[in-house]
Amino acid sequence: MIQPQTHLNVADNSGARELMCIRIIGASNRRYAHIGDIIVAVIKEAVPNTPLERSEVVRAVIVRTCKELKRDNGMIIRYDDNAAVVIDQEGNPKGTRIFGAIARELRQLNFTKIVSLAPEVL
Amino acid sequence: MTVLITLSLAGAGAGYRFSDDLQKLGRLQPKLCQSPTALFPHKCLHCQCFWQVPRSKNLTLKSRELPRLRLARAKEAEDSFTPNVSEDTDDMFDDLFDKYGKVVYSSNDRKSPSTELDDDAETLSFAVAMANVANDVKAGDIKVLFVKPLVYWTRFFIIATAFSRPQSDAIASRIRDMAEEKYGRVPSGDSKPNSWTLLDFGDVVIHIFLPPQRAFYNLEEFYANATPVELPFENQSPFRG
Repeated sequence: MIQPQTHLNVADNSGARELMCIRIIGASNRRYAHIGDIIVAVIKEAVPNTPLERSEVVRAVIVRTCKELKRDNGMIIRYDDNAAVVIDQEGNPKGTRIFGAIARELRQLNFTKIVSLAPEVL
Repeated sequence: MTVLITLSLAGAGAGYRFSDDLQKLGRLQPKLCQSPTALFPHKCLHCQCFWQVPRSKNLTLKSRELPRLRLARAKEAEDSFTPNVSEDTDDMFDDLFDKYGKVVYSSNDRKSPSTELDDDAETLSFAVAMANVANDVKAGDIKVLFVKPLVYWTRFFIIATAFSRPQSDAIASRIRDMAEEKYGRVPSGDSKPNSWTLLDFGDVVIHIFLPPQRAFYNLEEFYANATPVELPFENQSPFRG
């Protein structure tokens, strides 16, 4: 359940460390974003000397949420943190590697690039 | 589990002194014995001990205690039956454990190894055909990786370099057409030409990079443990100049 003003960790090596959601892409009046949704976010904290800087506005895909993700077979996945991966306008990830486990639902949502860079797919 | 253990220990001290406690123990006993625990098979034996010691005391009780005694005896009869059941289930679990080891559950949709191999071979032929198509459109440095041992979600990666966006578009559309025409498969993934164009056929995933992106993402290094597949056109490459 990501909404504007939610702070998210960054699950890649793009150089950003923390994001704050400022808009959910999709419907005009959408309240919450879940795994696989694209958000517009502002970088609140960044690693020094990297291409991405603090207070830059970027797009990101949510890859982990504290809110449970339910599957049709009854499986429920709940992560410890809210995390996103920074992408560019074309949908390519800005980092080269993803950290932590991600859900396979991202593949169905056409984020196979993120899935293929991830170390573990649940 | 720990709760069960503390109950049996607390009862061990008190059970010898009070006949009322005996009944409490009696109430506890079926619960303890019915729980099929392979870890604590001696728990039921403990309970038997509680019963046997106070039973001799019960015989010397006054008449007003008789109903309670009867109750206790009825429970005893029940209990003499229940440990056998729990032993049976324990044996059953032991047998199952011996037979299947740690795997108690396996999904039914698992394929037999032979069909798995057939599927792999079929997918390999598809992947090599797609690599051939990419080679026809002069994609550079084509690599086919067998990634099935590393990731569960696909079998083969095809990594190719296109030297310009129009070429990457040409490779992607050619692959799409051939796959649909010959194999009847439609990919998901990028529809527009991109610096990293990805075509997802399910068990084959095709990555078409522009040279800078290929060096940037360095997928070959990430999947360095994957087995590269020999391609038929690799030996002819000096011919093309």
